[in-house]
Amino acid sequence: VASIELPHKQWPELVEALLSNTNQLPTHTRQATLETLGYICEEVSPDVIDQDQVNKILTAVVQGMNASESNNDVRLAATIALYNALSFAQANFSNDMERDYIMRVVCESTLSPELRIRQAAFECLVAISSTYYEKLAPYIQDIFNITAKAIKEDEEPVALQAVEFWSSICDEEIDILEEYGGDFTGDSDIPCFYFVKQALPALVPLLLETLLKQEEDQDQDEGAWNIAMAGGTCLGLVARTVGDDVVPLVMPFIEENITKPDWRQREAATYAFGSILEGPSPDKLMPLVNVALNFMLNALMNDPNNNVKDTTAWTLGRIFEFMHGSTLETPIITQANCQQIMTVLLQSMNDVPNVAEKACGALYFLAQGYEDVEQSSSPLTPFIHDTIQALLNVTHRADAGESRLRTAAYETLNEVVRCSTDDTAPIVIQLVPAIVRELDQTFAAQSVSSEEREKRNELQGLLCGCLQVMIQKLGSSEPTKSHFLQYADQMMTLFLRVFGSKSATAHEEAMLAIGALAYCAGSDFAKYMQEFYKYLEMGLQDFEDYQVCAITVGVVGDICRALEGNILPYCDGIMTQLLKNLSSNQLHRSVKPPIFSCFGDIALAIGENFEKYMVYAMPMLQGAAELSVHTSSADDDMIEYTNTLRNGILEAYSGIFQGFKGSAKIQLLMPFAPHVLQFLDSLFLEKDMDDVVTKTAIGVLGDLADTLGSNAGILIQQSLSSKDFLNDCLSSDDHLIKESAEWAKLAISRAISF
Amino acid sequence: MAPHDLRRQYKRPAISDQQRRRELSLRRQEQNRREAQLQARRLASTLLSLE
Repeated sequence: VASIELPHKQWPELVEALLSNTNQLPTHTRQATLETLGYICEEVSPDVIDQDQVNKILTAVVQGMNASESNNDVRLAATIALYNALSFAQANFSNDMERDYIMRVVCESTLSPELRIRQAAFECLVAISSTYYEKLAPYIQDIFNITAKAIKEDEEPVALQAVEFWSSICDEEIDILEEYGGDFTGDSDIPCFYFVKQALPALVPLLLETLLKQEEDQDQDEGAWNIAMAGGTCLGLVARTVGDDVVPLVMPFIEENITKPDWRQREAATYAFGSILEGPSPDKLMPLVNVALNFMLNALMNDPNNNVKDTTAWTLGRIFEFMHGSTLETPIITQANCQQIMTVLLQSMNDVPNVAEKACGALYFLAQGYEDVEQSSSPLTPFIHDTIQALLNVTHRADAGESRLRTAAYETLNEVVRCSTDDTAPIVIQLVPAIVRELDQTFAAQSVSSEEREKRNELQGLLCGCLQVMIQKLGSSEPTKSHFLQYADQMMTLFLRVFGSKSATAHEEAMLAIGALAYCAGSDFAKYMQEFYKYLEMGLQDFEDYQVCAITVGVVGDICRALEGNILPYCDGIMTQLLKNLSSNQLHRSVKPPIFSCFGDIALAIGENFEKYMVYAMPMLQGAAELSVHTSSADDDMIEYTNTLRNGILEAYSGIFQGFKGSAKIQLLMPFAPHVLQFLDSLFLEKDMDDVVTKTAIGVLGDLADTLGSNAGILIQQSLSSKDFLNDCLSSDDHLIKESAEWAKLAISRAISF
Repeated sequence: MAPHDLRRQYKRPAISDQQRRRELSLRRQEQNRREAQLQARRLASTLLSLE
């Protein structure tokens, strides 16, 4: 009730009334009051409650947490309430005295004899680490001592929170350092305090110790989460935060444990090695990886323990993910060891499901490393046939439903196809009918239970995904395109049948595959439109699964480019739906920019026939343009979204102007020209466009000048965009911006020369 | 009140292949749109430079 009424200032006495309870006995009233305050803080936004009341809430809560409070239920309720109230405490965390007091009480609570209170207090520390990172410096030494003790000695729920504190600090520092790296001024809103680097010599041994506390068969339990998993995950984050410095601290542990008879020691050593492969420089890791690779291949084949094999296969995957690829100077996979690596990986696909799944993952990254090889041949060429066969065999295993094995096998097949080269194209072409057949067979079973139906939908999604990848790959060159297009009718029939299921994922995959097919089939796609249209409309109406909606909007663009003017008979329906979507408050905001871009695709395809939609589309574009000009005081996400929106609007204008080019109806666009130019000028003045928007914006100026010509000559000359903005873009380092600017310059010079 | 979920990605790649399929499709669509625009502009540029 409070969450509804407080934002409307309709229950002003509530907080005061609750606070008056906190000094009263009996304890259960105080406990219930603190719980209620906690719920309120969880539900309502911080700006709804006055600072004066926030202060009183925090005072009551912190008092409830104090050691002088003898009742554990009250202390626990107060600690949980503080967790929820932390986002209200901005002002209090800026005041040294108040912050010191809150931090002291939280730290004291981590030492409570009651496990639930200790756990809740550590939860508060985790939340503080991400919300108030920049205020932590005076307390970090004490917090290290407290977390270290908890990680070593406390019960698992508490120890997990203590590890999470350091993972969360790593998250913060990775974000800050990424911002430093991306910005040459070295500027970030929050400075990095290098807490992880400072704690490193003590923190790493602490984390390594946790790795030895694995549970038996933890890899077979999807929901498992324990101190060893948390410790290794944290170690991975530490490596990403500090880079090279972590390596000498971890290597002795690996060397000491990797050959021990106890599987826990071998697994922990392997997991430690796999965890530090992202972050340190390749120079630092390369010599170690070169030695480790052979050891890992042997372990994957011969270690008697499945946990060790699972982690070994995962570590091989990490080696291939971070230490293999065209950007690295010395290859770790060579002609000399490639055969052995492939033999081991393919053989591991017959291992227990969790190990086979990790082997598929390793193969995925191994293939990905060859993504950039020249198109004619690849070092993987000699192995492609056997690899595809092995992966297909995995998908047919009776136990492929366990450990996401089937999914991993199909996804690896996708990557192998993506990275295949001309010399293996015939093998990939042969795969098309095989996957088509698999998809066809999913429709064979008629009456199935809901569990089986779910499995079938998942499989259909995977197979559509696989076909999409093949369409995209084989459609990218003429000779292979003609070969696979012979299956187009069959594929399309099956994709349409997939829409009969109720699975959003399967719909999404089928839609993506159809988009890829439309692009490849070009004008021939027209023959599918009549049947496909109702599903297209259905996709556009799917607000709930907004990803499906977004993808369908993209597919409309594909179809526009494939059919050009022949899409006209379907445009009334499509435009009606798109306009409805734009007006809806229910549709996820991320779908709106692509809808504007889609207006441009439609206009470009149907040219002056777009006329009848202008009366609806133009006011929407103008309204959105005005809203999107200012981003001041917005957060990073909002700025990014605003730029995406601007780009969508500009792409719409671009398509509309280009679509009308040469038409007798260009006069219809004249009333909109002042607004478009004003929009471009405003964007230029705001100075917060990203490069993509800049490129699209200057391109629109060219399109406007090109289409309207001398009709808009004076308007263009008066605009800021045609001078300062254009000049800035002409001297840009970004070649796409420069290219668009050259175009604008040419079109403007013609428009104003008459 | 729901307890804070601690579970993080464990021995799984950061980006799923499904996410990659989406991203690659988007990239292809963006590229195709750019090519369609460029083609229209290129045609106009050729005509303009002939005038």
